[in-house]
Amino acid sequence: MRTADKERVLVEVTSRVLERRVQDARSGGMPLENLLNDTLFHERKRLEREAPSGYRDADMAVWNEVGRVLGHAPEEQLRDLLKRIIERYVLEVMGNFNETFYNVTSNMMPMGLGLMLNGLSPRRLLQPGSLVPSLHDSVRLSGNLEQLQKLQHRGTILLVPTHSSHMDSIALGWALHELGLPPFLYGAGFNLFMNPIMGFFMGNLGAYRVDRKKKNGLYKEVLKVYATYALELGYNNLFFPGGTRSRSGAIEQNLKLGLAGTGLEAYIQNLANGKMHPRVFIVPVTLSFPLVLEAETLIEDHLKEAGKARYIITDDEFSRPRRVWQFMKDVIRLEASIHVRFCPALDVFGNEVDDDGHSLDKRGRRIDTTRYVLTEGVPCPDPQRDREYTTELGKAISRSFRNHNVVLSTHLLAFAVFRMLRVLNPQLDLYRLLRTGGEEDGLQMTRVYGVMNSLLAIIADEEKEGRIVLNPALQGRSTADVVGEALRYFGSYHVHHVVERRGDRVFAADMNLLYFYHNRLNGHGLETRLDAFIRGESE
Amino acid sequence: MSVRHRGDLAIGVVGGGSWGTTLAHLLARNGNDVLLWVRRKGQATEINKKHTNERYLPGYTLDPRIRATTRLEDIPYRCQAILMAVPPSVLREVAFRVGDHLRGDQILVSATKGLEDETFYRMSEVLQQETCCKKIGALSGPNLAREIMDGQPAATVVASRFDEVVETIDGLLSSPRMRVYGNKDIVGVELVGALKNILAIATGVATGMGLGDNAKAFLLTRGLAEISRLGVAAGADPLTIVGLSGVGDMIATCSSPLSRNHQVGRRLGEGETLPDILDSMVMVAEGVHTARVAHSYAATLGIDMPITRGVFQLLHQGRAAHEVLEDLMGRPSNYEIDGTPIP
Repeated sequence: MRTADKERVLVEVTSRVLERRVQDARSGGMPLENLLNDTLFHERKRLEREAPSGYRDADMAVWNEVGRVLGHAPEEQLRDLLKRIIERYVLEVMGNFNETFYNVTSNMMPMGLGLMLNGLSPRRLLQPGSLVPSLHDSVRLSGNLEQLQKLQHRGTILLVPTHSSHMDSIALGWALHELGLPPFLYGAGFNLFMNPIMGFFMGNLGAYRVDRKKKNGLYKEVLKVYATYALELGYNNLFFPGGTRSRSGAIEQNLKLGLAGTGLEAYIQNLANGKMHPRVFIVPVTLSFPLVLEAETLIEDHLKEAGKARYIITDDEFSRPRRVWQFMKDVIRLEASIHVRFCPALDVFGNEVDDDGHSLDKRGRRIDTTRYVLTEGVPCPDPQRDREYTTELGKAISRSFRNHNVVLSTHLLAFAVFRMLRVLNPQLDLYRLLRTGGEEDGLQMTRVYGVMNSLLAIIADEEKEGRIVLNPALQGRSTADVVGEALRYFGSYHVHHVVERRGDRVFAADMNLLYFYHNRLNGHGLETRLDAFIRGESE
Repeated sequence: MSVRHRGDLAIGVVGGGSWGTTLAHLLARNGNDVLLWVRRKGQATEINKKHTNERYLPGYTLDPRIRATTRLEDIPYRCQAILMAVPPSVLREVAFRVGDHLRGDQILVSATKGLEDETFYRMSEVLQQETCCKKIGALSGPNLAREIMDGQPAATVVASRFDEVVETIDGLLSSPRMRVYGNKDIVGVELVGALKNILAIATGVATGMGLGDNAKAFLLTRGLAEISRLGVAAGADPLTIVGLSGVGDMIATCSSPLSRNHQVGRRLGEGETLPDILDSMVMVAEGVHTARVAHSYAATLGIDMPITRGVFQLLHQGRAAHEVLEDLMGRPSNYEIDGTPIP
């Protein structure tokens, strides 16, 4: 947020949230007193769990004060108290934003990666002449890049990427830099600010702070209104619709739509205000890593019994610079590529748009989208209607994620080997299979090649229908080549090899990781045909 | 709630068959100007001059507020709310043509019961694919056209995820003789509305064969069970199945000699052949088509639908009614609710 905009953001976001809540209370919704009590309750509960720190004590003092006032505040003071709390949240969300940094972000981002590679201190990077390694070889951009560049002049862009690793932020930052796009406002978890590597940069990358431990409705509303208003002011925005890094390794299909709705809200508001470029474009992005930095932690969390899994993980691989360094070294050494694919842009209703930003129906005819939001001829929000539009948008984003899922060699080999083990061990349920690895002593190499052949053929069919994307670098390569590449990757970085070849057999050395990388191809219905093939083979 | 923003706007009905004409009549009787699209010029002239539609609703006089047109583009141009009442086999083509002129604020409701061949799409899905409209709904329920034309009381369901669609259609159709219910479960309403036609054929067959009420009750109840299985697999709310568009429509269709699907079944049960029966009917019995679509849909989803299979074999594979019945009676015993076999 530029300094020039900060004050109007504080004023506007505060009064929008306040007005909504007061209006809601007046029309029979939650009374202000209950709202304040509820917020106080959640904040106290959160603080009780927090480790002691000066920050916590200060926060606690504020909330204790709220509690004291709330006890015997007359009706008219409640509104004032609420306003102060909202303001506090807005200020916190805006964070310590530095305009100078914002304007040079596109140069800063790649340095973030350079920092990791060199293990330098952040400060040294700021000195002139520091060495920033090129990412040209490691990050591959694909998709409709030209469209994205054009659309930035036709409206505001809301990027919605898949999320599998904290490395996503860095890869995305690099991608935006390469495309010459301005930085995107990005709501990043508090834990990222606290991270020894990222913390230094986050506040200056257009990121605003999101404290995911604050679960109260008021705070969430502030976040939403903040994001909406930023879009209205023309700030491009980025958020991960999966909500958090995919624990299972699968591409996200159940999206959290709260923030997706901000695009529609901003669009309606822009229309009502007669803005010249009222449109908001939703651009789904898929990020594919041959190896995922935090794979071990993520899949372990996914496999924990329901309820024990953690929503926020702070002690994973990303918090250990040595692991990050190892990861980057391996990625570079293996000449492995991280794929960032920009899907065709959508409008806020989930329709595709052409390069000029005009919405198209499914038969390619232009649509006047203002019509969708008219009430009695005037552009106007309508919560029930808009929720349905956003649900449609969510479906369209999920579809884009699937159709533009870039398949890499490690995903292919993991999928083939895991399906083989699954089909060959029908008597074992998933958890037993993961624990035991099945009853075979390894899989014959020739059989793995056979199954991989079949899988590649299935993927080729799906790709023809536009339902998946095979890494272009794998096109035309022999199956043995693809398997060889995957084995090389799987034999590096991770503490245990995921899959390894010994003699003429292939062994799944780490079942959980195998499952994790296999999951990336879930949701495409590939298993039906592949399992049939494996069954046919084994008969 | 009025949807008319300009004085010259009307409610559109696309399709001048018996149901489309009946809907147009209902809407007009409530004081709405109705624009009805029909394919043939002669039919349009008849409706406009004589206020009758002898081919599809012989003996009835239509409300004079219905204007018939053969120009399809008049409908999207002049109507804010449009009901589509053409057969499933032509809905896609007609919707695409209407779609050339539709705008995003218009309300589009399917009044057609059926599933698309090969794709298994519901009618509202076809509307979504062929137009820019989002505010889409489906109308279904026990609504035998002739009873409604006779002014008998009835109830219907309008299903949509958009409150505005439900409220608008309620405002347009509700009257002392028509109760409108809303439902958010458009998947369920459309699926059971289409699939129950198969059961109407099945009970018709039973009637034709001279079977008793026990047999009919068995076919209906177990038929509903298999429809529920398919519906739930496709994302329907099981409670919708016991609603107006499910059990409600089934009771009307399966017990009424007015139902076309029931007639087809009865004549099959009496030993006539399908081509002969279809040749002698003016109107389409959608269940004949739906049985085939549902049969392959069930196979795709891996759902066992023995009664649907039986009707399919009877209609499209030339099997005799008594053979199909023997098959159904000879199936291994199951637990009623979850279908597990009794050892």
